Amino acid sequence: MFLRFVSQSIRRSPRRKAMTVAAVAMGTAVATAMLGVMLDIGDRVNRELRSLGANLMVTPKARSLPVEIGGISYRPVSSQDYIPEDQVKKIKSTFWQLNITGFAPSMMASASLNGRNVPVEGVWFRRRFRGADGSMLEAGLRTVNGGWKVDGRWIADGNRNDDARDAMLGGAVARRLGLKPGDTVDLFGQPFTVAGVVTTGGEEEDRIFVRLEVLQRLVNRPGQVDAVQVGALTKPEDEFARKDPTKMTQKEYDRWYCTPYISSIAHQIEEVLPMAVARPIWRVADNEGKVLGKIRGLMLLITLAALASAGLTVWSVMATTVLERRGEIAIMQATGAGNGLVAALFSTEVALEGAAGGLIGSWVGLLMAEWVGRAVFQTSLEIPGILGPVVVGAAVLASVAGAAQPLRRALMLEPAVTLRGGE
Amino acid sequence: MFWNFVLRAVQFRKRRLALAFAALAVSATLATALFSVYSDIERKMRVQFRGFGANIVIAPAGGAQTVPLAAVGLAERQGAVAAPFIYTVGRVEGEPVVVAGTDFRRAGPLTNYWRVDAARAAATGECLVGSNVAAHFRLKLGQKLELEGAPCTIRGIVSSGGAEDAQAIVPFEIAARLAGVQDAASLVQVRADGERLESVQAALAKALPGADVRLLHAVAETEANVVLKVRSTLFLLTALILAITTLCVSSNFSALVLERSKEIGILKAIGAAERKIAALFLSESLILGVVSAAVGYGVGLAVAWWIGRQIFPESAAAGVGVNYGVFLPVTGVTLAMAAVATLAAAARIWRIRPAVILRGE
Repeated sequence: MFLRFVSQSIRRSPRRKAMTVAAVAMGTAVATAMLGVMLDIGDRVNRELRSLGANLMVTPKARSLPVEIGGISYRPVSSQDYIPEDQVKKIKSTFWQLNITGFAPSMMASASLNGRNVPVEGVWFRRRFRGADGSMLEAGLRTVNGGWKVDGRWIADGNRNDDARDAMLGGAVARRLGLKPGDTVDLFGQPFTVAGVVTTGGEEEDRIFVRLEVLQRLVNRPGQVDAVQVGALTKPEDEFARKDPTKMTQKEYDRWYCTPYISSIAHQIEEVLPMAVARPIWRVADNEGKVLGKIRGLMLLITLAALASAGLTVWSVMATTVLERRGEIAIMQATGAGNGLVAALFSTEVALEGAAGGLIGSWVGLLMAEWVGRAVFQTSLEIPGILGPVVVGAAVLASVAGAAQPLRRALMLEPAVTLRGGE
Repeated sequence: MFWNFVLRAVQFRKRRLALAFAALAVSATLATALFSVYSDIERKMRVQFRGFGANIVIAPAGGAQTVPLAAVGLAERQGAVAAPFIYTVGRVEGEPVVVAGTDFRRAGPLTNYWRVDAARAAATGECLVGSNVAAHFRLKLGQKLELEGAPCTIRGIVSSGGAEDAQAIVPFEIAARLAGVQDAASLVQVRADGERLESVQAALAKALPGADVRLLHAVAETEANVVLKVRSTLFLLTALILAITTLCVSSNFSALVLERSKEIGILKAIGAAERKIAALFLSESLILGVVSAAVGYGVGLAVAWWIGRQIFPESAAAGVGVNYGVFLPVTGVTLAMAAVATLAAAARIWRIRPAVILRGE
């Protein structure tokens, strides 16, 4: 009987019901789309910001102070500190390994070219290796600075015994020497082929890049690395992150350790490479955190505003439907239905409408969020699966809440008064 | 008589209209807030990227070791922030140390990312030292750095994670004297507004044929890219939400007409012309539309202002976050939707047969 009543009510005025459901669906769609985009935009922008280059620099625990201007060392050659090359891969076995998007070990030397010292950097360009868990990983300059403009080609450094003499020139060096891809340049008395010319605008323009192994052999420092650049996805620093980890309680320390702050990632790299120090490059790390924080906060507040208005919309639509049907309520009461029964009937109906609208709305909203993600970031967003059910639940709640007050008022009125058309 | 009618209609259906009004005002609020935020977001995001420091570097080209100091003035005339830097090797306690010289006043905006203990600038006879230098020579704030030829008092300790950590940073003239150069710098860093970057670079390259004027691609392109993406995300979301809320508004207005079929029947029965009835509904809708748009505009601006203050407090002084110009589009859209939806629903007025409607079918 109860169910028949509800289904009859829905069947009798499908048009009005459809309008109510549509209104709820619209509100829910707005909420879902905003939430979907908000929850993932931080990650997307974080990845975009990685095109700034490395945000961590790992160097040997130096006993001596580096004396370097523009990549050229002015310190008379002494005992060099170094990081063993075979240890470097451990960077990818730290707690936050998935947040480390790339790293590039390098070694500096300087070569005399046309009577002038030019810094030569030996690096991994792109190297694949097998991680501790057996998965294939990638590292090298291209994983950190993939956005560099290269005229010509990148050097391929697949085979570590390959002795191919390839070099990439910084733009300033190439301009000064009048060299272009395909030309030959003499370094350390050996002929190198210019594979490509790199234009970055930064100090890289004054450098020459060669494969790490080649440089190690030429300067006779096999297996040694001077520095490792690391690019990591981090959580913007907050009050908590600025605390001194050595003064934290065990609980705080665990929380800090398990959050991808730049400082905790640096700490974890130092744990696996005890001969090295990892320092955030603040120019990148600090600002990327600030930009990210702004975008996250902005999206959060806009989403809150949208959620509030979506909730109000659903609420007002439901209140309207009850208001319109006061006559019906009065008739039910007049024919002997108890208040509880009427309330139950109406709430069921409203909840069903809310659920239907919520389902349609969350589906449409997810499609919209997906579309925004594809249109702007060219990848689909990672939206948590729980979002749909949560939004549907919220739609039902908002619907029932909107109907509750007018329903209570209608029930309190004398049926006779309502039916006479007054109030 | 006509207006009396409209007013009465409003009076008698207070509750119903209040709900319709609430729904409309909420839509207008959302529209105003989103428009406001969207129209200003590019400028605000670009301000955030200023923290990255220089986006143009003027470096020596060819066989030269320095660039003329005049480059700083040239860049400033282009409306950019510019600071000269000079690098040389000095000696402290017999050990070589890189000495950097800069014009602290000009370099300030370019070195925001330095994490500094105490002062960010040094006067003559003072200096800043990088954290590695301080650790290496066991130096503390206020102590003397025995730099050969220019001993100085340490006013601040810099850590940047970059080259500065291993440098002693002194006023420009002192480093220039140590390096033995005049009216020249090792490089000049320039920060131009993201929108004008290319034109500033072109102008500087033309004025300084002997120097290498380079765009720092990583900074410039990331800025352009992120600003564009955030802007387009906001644009698409704003457009979607506006589309949905206008749909909502129009269905609301249709409902206002549809649920009054009986009234229309009575009006027709006592001889009112259809056009007159339609005009009645239209003016009622427009009044509702104007009032809700005005209220929504006010609340929306408040929301935008609040968002602006929460997220971009540093630019709050400029009154940002609020864009008064959105009133016309918001009201226009709301009114247009109100009119279209009412008229679409009012088409029924012509089809309603009083006898049928009043019989209750």
